[in-house]
Amino acid sequence: MLVGIPLDQSNNTVKPKECASEMSAYIVEVAETRCKRSFAKVFNYFAPRLRSYALKQMGNEALAMELVQDTMSNVWQKAHLFNAEKGSPSTWIFTIARNIRFDMLRKLQNRKEDVCSDDLWPILCEQTADANEASLDQQVTLEQIGYMFESLPVKQKAVIEAIYIDGKSQQEVADELTIPLGTVKSRTRLALQRLKGMLHDND
Amino acid sequence: MIKFHPSPEQLTAFAEGTLSPVESLMVSAHCDMCSRCETRVADEVERAALEFDEPATSSHTEDQIYKSMFASITQVPADEATYLSPKAAPSAIELDGRKFELPRTLRRYASSMGNWSGLVGRLWQAPVDLGEAGVAHFIYMGRGGSVPEHTHRGCEYTLVLSGEFCDGLNTYDSGDFIYMNGEHTHAPHSDDTEGCLVFSIVDQPLHFTSGIARLLNPFSHLFFR
Ligand SMILES: [Zn+2]
Repeated sequence: MLVGIPLDQSNNTVKPKECASEMSAYIVEVAETRCKRSFAKVFNYFAPRLRSYALKQMGNEALAMELVQDTMSNVWQKAHLFNAEKGSPSTWIFTIARNIRFDMLRKLQNRKEDVCSDDLWPILCEQTADANEASLDQQVTLEQIGYMFESLPVKQKAVIEAIYIDGKSQQEVADELTIPLGTVKSRTRLALQRLKGMLHDND
Repeated sequence: MIKFHPSPEQLTAFAEGTLSPVESLMVSAHCDMCSRCETRVADEVERAALEFDEPATSSHTEDQIYKSMFASITQVPADEATYLSPKAAPSAIELDGRKFELPRTLRRYASSMGNWSGLVGRLWQAPVDLGEAGVAHFIYMGRGGSVPEHTHRGCEYTLVLSGEFCDGLNTYDSGDFIYMNGEHTHAPHSDDTEGCLVFSIVDQPLHFTSGIARLLNPFSHLFFR
């Protein structure tokens, strides 16, 4: 729309580009003087657009209206963060709505703290974090794994070797060694516990 | 030079905010390092914003809702807190006395990541808890370091943060965005004198395929979740 494509002018009393700079001016006015009349212009223009977008995305009237409200609240409270040089008002407001939708969806799915929109698109805030230092611990080498394996009791070793190195099933091992399946299972469990214990000692 | 980028579909979905959280995180971090994809995402945002800007009508009922919404919104004062200049966040993590600059998206994990622990083959990793989205890791391969050959039960996303590594399929450089699934078997190793730091998310434990490394399989959920 910002490119001069002659769209259906009869339906559009205001040209998009003029509209963008008009909306920019209103948002700046809101930021500087908290002017409710300017905000009303922005609100009236964007609220129906936001609802239409939200309805398409969420398919639910109540959620759509929640998204309109959250987005327009941000525009009202954080108008000073709008920068006309960085983009048009509709781009800015679209990205705010997109972020809110992303986080609403996470909340609806009951996802706890994972990836939030501020990390991905820091439009309305900056991240802070503390310095972190770490040093290397000891490492486990394949040789050590081999050594741990060697230190297993002979019977456990045979079972582990057949299952994890030769890739046999527990039943096959039981048949081959002519021992009950339950014995194979318990030997495997004991051996894994032992290896796990050795790995942890190595931490 | 960056050779491996997210797909055009991933970039579009990321710009629209419809990509999954995990993929979004990886694509976002890649865009911090790749101006080509950063520009494409910005273009996609512009395109989506134009669509959003199409005229929309409202009914009488909606107008009533808007009226009370307007009143409640404008009762709240401006958010003064955001006028404060942000504290400088650490942009690097330290490992064995070396500093690694992190892409912006990953910086918050510099403070929440777990401790480094040593693994097989000159390999170190530090976990990053992403809650329900899974566990990610910073993985560092020292010179000559390697991950035993493995395949994937789920998906593995890797972003190279510093240095180079190869895996028998390709050579990857800083910024490369790598996606692996059950169809791929690979054995990453690094010959870079500086070693190689990657950020990796796996949604299922790896499955080791060769020799004695198969012994790791029962424990791979501990190491390479
Ligand atoms: Zn790219």
